[in-house]
Amino acid sequence: MVNQTDVVIVGAGLAGLTAARDLHRAGVRVHILEARDRVGGRTLNHDLGDGQVVEAGGQFVGPTQNHVLKLAADLGVPLYPAYDEGKAVYVRGSKGRRFGGDIPPDYLSLPDIAVTMLRLNAASQAIPVDAPWEAKDAAALDAITFETWIRRTTVGRGGLELLNVLLASAFGATAADVSALFGLWYVAGAGDESHPGAVERMIGVADGAQESRLEGGSQRLSQLLADELTEHLALGAAVRRIRQDARSVTVTSDAGTWKAKQVIVAVPPPLAARIDFQPLLPAQQDALFQRMPFGTLMKCEAVYDQPFWRTEGLSGQGVFRGSSSPLCSMFDNTPSGPAGDGPGVLMGFLGGAEWRAWSHRPARERQGAVLRSFAKVVGDRALHPADYFEQDWTAEEWTRGGPTSILAPGVLTNLGRWRDVPFGKVHWAGAEHAHYWNGYMDGAISSGHTTAATVLEEI
Amino acid sequence: MSEPARRTVTVTRDLQVTPEEIWEVVSDTSRYADWVDGCLAVTRHHGTAAVGETYAERNRTVGPVTTNSEWTVLEVVPLRKRVDSGTGFDPLHDMVNTFTFEPLDIGGTRMTYAVDVRIGLGPLGLLGPLVAAVLGKTLRAEFTTSMRQLEELIVSERTIADRTEVQ
Repeated sequence: MVNQTDVVIVGAGLAGLTAARDLHRAGVRVHILEARDRVGGRTLNHDLGDGQVVEAGGQFVGPTQNHVLKLAADLGVPLYPAYDEGKAVYVRGSKGRRFGGDIPPDYLSLPDIAVTMLRLNAASQAIPVDAPWEAKDAAALDAITFETWIRRTTVGRGGLELLNVLLASAFGATAADVSALFGLWYVAGAGDESHPGAVERMIGVADGAQESRLEGGSQRLSQLLADELTEHLALGAAVRRIRQDARSVTVTSDAGTWKAKQVIVAVPPPLAARIDFQPLLPAQQDALFQRMPFGTLMKCEAVYDQPFWRTEGLSGQGVFRGSSSPLCSMFDNTPSGPAGDGPGVLMGFLGGAEWRAWSHRPARERQGAVLRSFAKVVGDRALHPADYFEQDWTAEEWTRGGPTSILAPGVLTNLGRWRDVPFGKVHWAGAEHAHYWNGYMDGAISSGHTTAATVLEEI
Repeated sequence: MSEPARRTVTVTRDLQVTPEEIWEVVSDTSRYADWVDGCLAVTRHHGTAAVGETYAERNRTVGPVTTNSEWTVLEVVPLRKRVDSGTGFDPLHDMVNTFTFEPLDIGGTRMTYAVDVRIGLGPLGLLGPLVAAVLGKTLRAEFTTSMRQLEELIVSERTIADRTEVQ
């Protein structure tokens, strides 16, 4: 039996659900096909018991992320500030040093850090977020790695290694893995139409991308969207084939076949490239999507009876330089609630080069190394958690990495313009199809709105 | 000409972990970089230590200077003793490393970390006394750090189920 609808949406992450909701509200018949047995894509709540959750996927929101902030308000999901009181700790080797603000107290590296940040902000402002391949010097910037570009003006390794701390969580990769043009474009997108992107906004907690969290966990946004669309959503419905002709498009999934006027594919680009398209995707688009692999990222979280570090004047935030730890950075990830009234949670990002070094080691050894890293920041009590869990996004069949696509030299200038081009009746959405906050929840939601508007014009 | 100096450095420490837990980690020749201070990487290993087998490490010496060492397992007494000989630490020669473990009545384990070396005299016979002067202090600090790190590693790697049992 072939089911009929107006628009099939592939993927029930924030992009697919946002697009579906916009179309549904406009009176269009939609059906969402989700491969997993849950909604939310790269947002995922982990149950702590007693009605409390903590995020195992994307979680932070901040200023200029207007789309996710508006959606949260629309759905009645309150924000609360990420914990940012007290001192953070900078760890290099076996030693930790407390500091305030966003810049670690690595005095020998400070000149490199300052120069690198100034250059990043200045150069990124020359990159058009909607067409980075048209930037002055685009070809030259896309011919070298981000690391090569940074090392042109740094003396030591401090500036580069500290940038890699950021990239390990933002890209799940290092500066050597991506092109300079891609890196600068990413910084350019850390803003909105009124506020140019800035590296400080990417790395910051206060006034930055890590400023706030969502009450009930970030996956709640998708769950509430799905509640509005329950009758139009199928889970366990991995899409295997999309066939189109002049009149319609037919989508074959594990939960049945659907015929529609248009399709929105809202899954990560490398996974979109695995769908059997008939006719084939344009070779350039197929090549681009295959060259948009995700970084490698794992979140490691330990649960304690209390957030004990807070009473000791510590924010729970830590920055780890070099190979002093499997982690690049860590945060207090305690759920909202009155202080002292519930569990304390520490969360560390294990990404990029350290993921490659640690992901294949026994889970027990990795847990030990993570807890010892936490202990360097908040003391030996961190060695005694009540619970511990990891979320390795590379092991998720329907994500295969995290947190987002990373582009190596040559990809943006040669193929980048194919990113959002509709393929006949097939349109694209997802966090990787946004100009601003690409790879973030905000980018996913903005792309959902944009693609839904395009489809509305088509049908 | 004087005989080359020999020197033995020994440190003992009580660890709040069981001999079984210690033995599991110490017997694994792939894991020394995880707890031995100064061991930057294990570059070759044979898994569980076996008499006559070898393994190799890259070690810190002075500042950023590193050395490549090779170790041979000489003696294995499960839960009680490990003896290895090492090369690659010039001017230290004929290095013998011994770990011994003794369960404590109050729980935990008394660990003794000892190294016995022959100190090369170097040009003009001057190097030996110089090295000997700093060797004891340096090695004692390294052994103390290593045993603290070993204890920390074992505690941190306990599963949640292990932790419940220990409590």
